[in-house]
Amino acid sequence: MKKGKLTVTITVGFIVLVFTAVVFIQFKTINQTDILSIENMREDELKSEISNFKQKTEELKREVDETNTKINEYKETVLTGKEASDLLTKELEKQNNLLGKNDVKGSGIIVTLQDKNNKKITSEDLRTLLNGLKMAGAEAISINDNRIVYDSYIVDIGYTFISVNGNKIVSPYEVKAIGNPTYLESGLSQKQYGFVDMKLEEGKDVSLVRKDNILIKKYNKSLDMEYAD
Amino acid sequence: MILVIAIFVQIKTIKSATLTVGTTIKDNRGLKDELLIIQTKYETVKRTLENKQKELEKIRLSASTTNETDKKNETEIKYNQELLGLTEVSGPGFVITLEENREINIDEVLNISGYLVHEEDLLYIVNELYNAGADAIAINDQRIVNTTAIQCDGNILRINGKMVGMPITIKAIGYPERLDGALNRPGGYLQIMADGGIKITTSRTENLTVPKYEGVYSAEYLVRR
Repeated sequence: MKKGKLTVTITVGFIVLVFTAVVFIQFKTINQTDILSIENMREDELKSEISNFKQKTEELKREVDETNTKINEYKETVLTGKEASDLLTKELEKQNNLLGKNDVKGSGIIVTLQDKNNKKITSEDLRTLLNGLKMAGAEAISINDNRIVYDSYIVDIGYTFISVNGNKIVSPYEVKAIGNPTYLESGLSQKQYGFVDMKLEEGKDVSLVRKDNILIKKYNKSLDMEYAD
Repeated sequence: MILVIAIFVQIKTIKSATLTVGTTIKDNRGLKDELLIIQTKYETVKRTLENKQKELEKIRLSASTTNETDKKNETEIKYNQELLGLTEVSGPGFVITLEENREINIDEVLNISGYLVHEEDLLYIVNELYNAGADAIAINDQRIVNTTAIQCDGNILRINGKMVGMPITIKAIGYPERLDGALNRPGGYLQIMADGGIKITTSRTENLTVPKYEGVYSAEYLVRR
C-alpha cells in the first residue's frame, strides 16, 4: 500500500518535471527565433529584401562611378599643375546644399497644415510628416522657413506654439520638400494609410500641392559637433 | 492538468506557425540564394566605394596645396563629411536599449501594442536626444542622418532601408548628464514606454563610437539658389 503510493507520487512528480521542462524548452525556442535571419523569412519578405538590396547596390555603384570621376579630375589638376579650386568649390557646394548651409531650389511638394477648432496640429504630426517625406526621398525640407538639418528637433510649446530648431512657429504650417514630386506626392497620398488620408481621418486640415520651383532657405544657425570627433 | 493543456496549446501554436512558415521556407530556396548573392555583391560594392573614397581624400588633399582658399575648402569638405555622418565618430554619450517583452501571454493582455516598439517611439526618442543636444545618433548601428526614415514594414522596422531587429540599441554622442536627464525625466517618454511593458535600460558612458552612414545622399532635384 505504502509502496504503491510512493510509486504514484514519484511517477506523477516525474511527469510534472518533464512537462515543465518541455514548456521551458518551448518558450526558449520561441524567444530565440531570429526575425531577421534569411532562413525565417517568408516569400514576400525575401522578395522585398532582394529588390531592396538590388536598389542599394545600384546606388552604391553610381556613387563609385561619381567618386572615380572626381578622382580622375583631381589627378588631372595634379598632373597639369592647375589649381583644383573649381573642383573643390563644386564638392563643397553639393555638401552644403545637402547639409542646409545653402539656400536651395528645385521641384517638389508643399504640404500645408492648419489648426482648426479643436483639431490642432501637433509636433508629432510634423515629425510623422517629415519621416514620410524622407521615406519618399526628400532632399531638402523646411517648416515655415526653418530648414530641417540632421540634428533638428520639433517640440510642442504649451498649447499655442511648435518649436522647430528652437524657433517658435504657429499655424498654418507650410512644409516645403524638394525631391521627385511624383514620389513625394504618392508617398504621402496612399489611400487610408498615407499621411494625408490619416490626418484627414483624424479631422485635421491638410493639403498638398506639387510645385516646380520651390525655394528653401538655409539653416539660420551654425552646424557643429561639440562632443563627437 | 494545466501543464498538459499548456503544452498542447503551445505545440499547436508552434505547429501552425511552422506550417505557414515551413511550407514556404521549403519552396523559397531559390529566393534565399538570390538574396545571399545580392547581399554579398552589396558588401563588395560597399568595400569598393570605401576604398575609392579614401583614394579621393588623398588626391584631393594633394591637389589643394597651391593656395589658401583651396586649403580652407579642403578642410571644410572634410568637416562636412563628419556632419553628413559619413565618418565614424566617438565621444561621451548615452545608450538606451529597448526590448519587447516576449514572455507575456498575449491572451491575457488587452493591448499588445504597448509591448512592441513602433516607429513613432523611435522618432520620438531621436527627437528628444537632438533636443538635448546630441551630436550623432545610431540605432542598431544605422546612423541617423538628415535623410534617414524610420519605417514600419509589416512587423519589421527599417532604418535607412535596413532591417532592424530586437533588442534595439540607441547610441547618442553628447553631454551624458543632459541626455540622461532629458530622456529619464519622471513622466518622460521612456517611463511611459516602460509602463507600457517595454524593457528599457539606459547608461551614461564616457566613450562611445557611432558608425558612419552607409547609404548614399541623392541630390537630383536640388540645386543651389
